[in-house]
Amino acid sequence: MANSSFIRIAQVAKEFTAPDGSIIPVVEPLSIDVQEGEFVVFVGPSGCGKTTVMRMVGGLETTSAGDIYLNGKRVEGPNRDKGMVFQSYSSFPWLTVLGNIRFGLKYRDDISADEKERIARHYLDLVGLTPFADYTINRISGGMRQRVAIARTLAANPLVLLMDEPFGALDALSRERLQIQLMDLRRAERKTVIFVTHDVDEAVLLADRIIVFSARPARVLADIAVSATLPEKRSLDILDIPEFRKIRRDVLALIRNEETRMEAAE
Amino acid sequence: MDPPGAAWRDLIVFRAAPRPRQELWLSIGAFLAVLIVWLIVAESGLVHPQILPSPRAVMAAWWRLFTEAEYISDIGISVARVWAAFLASAVIAIPLGILMSGYRAITALFEPIIDFVRYLPVPALVPLTLIWLGIGEGSKVTLLWIGTFFQLILLIADDARRVPKEFIETGRTLGASDTALMKDVLLRAMLPNMVDSLRITLGWCWTYLIVAEIVASSSGIGYELWTARRYGKSPEVFAGILTIGIIGLASDQAIRFLHRRWFRYLH
Repeated sequence: MANSSFIRIAQVAKEFTAPDGSIIPVVEPLSIDVQEGEFVVFVGPSGCGKTTVMRMVGGLETTSAGDIYLNGKRVEGPNRDKGMVFQSYSSFPWLTVLGNIRFGLKYRDDISADEKERIARHYLDLVGLTPFADYTINRISGGMRQRVAIARTLAANPLVLLMDEPFGALDALSRERLQIQLMDLRRAERKTVIFVTHDVDEAVLLADRIIVFSARPARVLADIAVSATLPEKRSLDILDIPEFRKIRRDVLALIRNEETRMEAAE
Repeated sequence: MDPPGAAWRDLIVFRAAPRPRQELWLSIGAFLAVLIVWLIVAESGLVHPQILPSPRAVMAAWWRLFTEAEYISDIGISVARVWAAFLASAVIAIPLGILMSGYRAITALFEPIIDFVRYLPVPALVPLTLIWLGIGEGSKVTLLWIGTFFQLILLIADDARRVPKEFIETGRTLGASDTALMKDVLLRAMLPNMVDSLRITLGWCWTYLIVAEIVASSSGIGYELWTARRYGKSPEVFAGILTIGIIGLASDQAIRFLHRRWFRYLH
């Protein structure tokens, strides 16, 4: 296998040890390659291990077997190269909106203080929160909190942006707005993104490529090149076009099939 | 607009909205009610004044303590003992508790010892502190320190463990080192709960102070209280108890006030 992929997940497996000592396989040996600038969405039945795969890329979980490489370097733990946005609100409540975004730059010693301030305000503006710069986190909505988390992570300038169901806790309207914003942001920034969701519409809307996982232990069921059939610049209108509906139907069928198989096994 | 009386009715509705003003009046009312019952029972002559002196006798005793017995310096020395022990506990327990929450080796090393000492009744240690440190300030402060440090360190470690995993992981993925993570994220996130833990610990300090001052002391609120008992001066005993209660109430309210000021983002 060529070593040229930006992210290379090579024969990676994960197992947990249960309290009674038995071994529970969570991820079967699997390999995924991600190109630089690609937006890859992981979908699969709930509890299938897709988040675990992403957390291993982020260095937040160790692998039980196999290795992960980012930009040619082996992943050995979390650092600034792998930015993470969580489902739960992880903005720091003791800081303001701008303070949180500044925190993303706190540990960068490659740039001056003036430059940090400029970058922080740039990302504040990019997520549309300039009027709320001095608000504390408890005074802004859930959607705004996730925008703070995204801006903070982008300000740290990671090589890859890892997003774990970032819009899962939002209402439908906020979710749509953030999806559109994320697409705009991502086009402007050309970031490599791995995005975990269980919302198939969201997956097809955002993805260049969808990886469908099996029920636990996770295997790759399908690897769908969405950008081959759908245009790169998308809006919510795309939800009505036949190509979109076909991909959506295929992915849903795969996941439903997995869930039926799991229920039958129990 | 609420109908008249709605605010008061909310006080007895299960999980109703808070009514700070009405709640304050209720608290003051309860305090006054205790005082009035005390006054009536004591003045009626039903109970011997040796058992229950009247509030007026207690006020007079208070006056005597302040004017004749230099009670101010007794209060000062008791407060100083409490704060010396409290600060000594906090200064060691905060860093050690945080380390315990983060490093399994440190937990494994210290937890058995802490749990052992934690269950020892503090009064039982009085003879030991006297043998080791004599009857000076050292033995009293040490006793208070033993009584609070081993409890506080576990409270601090728990506060640190309760910081959401996402905060720590966010710090790591933004490039924080272990030390930076503890200083900039963990400590900052746990701070409101930690101030509460410290407030509770300060209360315990007062409990043990009286033990220390009764057994081996020639000054302080506890000493005056015990001396008054020896001479059967129950108004002075009551005055001593009320003094401790008032200092405790005042410092507790002061810390709560600061908590609201410092951690406005929680309120």
